[in-house]
Amino acid sequence: MASMAAASTSLQARPRQVVTAVKCFSQGSRSNLSFTLRPLPTRLSVSCAAKPETVDKVCEVVKKQLSLKEGDQVTAATKFAELGADSLDTVEIVMGLEEAFDIEMEEDKAQAIETVEEAAELIEEILKAKA
Amino acid sequence: MVAKCQVISLCRSLLRAGRKYPDYNIREYTKRRTLDGFRMNGNLTDPSKVIEAYAQGKQQLEVVERVLKVYLAYAYPPKTNHIMELKV
Repeated sequence: MASMAAASTSLQARPRQVVTAVKCFSQGSRSNLSFTLRPLPTRLSVSCAAKPETVDKVCEVVKKQLSLKEGDQVTAATKFAELGADSLDTVEIVMGLEEAFDIEMEEDKAQAIETVEEAAELIEEILKAKA
Repeated sequence: MVAKCQVISLCRSLLRAGRKYPDYNIREYTKRRTLDGFRMNGNLTDPSKVIEAYAQGKQQLEVVERVLKVYLAYAYPPKTNHIMELKV
């Protein structure tokens, strides 16, 4: 349990500031690349690849499953372990998500889910494949 | 020795199999029982006990799947919905 948590934290660690390449188009056709440091926005509105409605629905299911109070923050980057869920709770949450969205998740993909964002992205992938 | 992912996938298979029952009572019971059972045995450290519990879980999975086949083939599909399933 501890080793799994350690592995997941090392995977999920992201730098607070993102190095981005800013393309400057000069008068000619040459494009220059220059690197600047951009602070990561604290609200994950841009960097999450899933739609906000999906993320919201996932957050609702998670809150209900773990019986969280209204004030507790559940955002796209929240890890289930942070909310006090162990692996069995995660299985329950994934089952709840499958029922809420009426989908079937594959075993190995479902095992890999650690954050709200991953769940939402996987759900959207499956919904797109179904449509 | 049973790996953690095996245990998790056994839990998932049990929950998935239990979901298919047409009867509300049996559905809820299988879900409740699997979660309770796995939580109760979650702190086992003795390897032989772990293997024993895992084997028990596998047997229960066979039972669930077998009884499901019987229900789907021979028993009633419920003509009315259970009151707990009414969406308010």
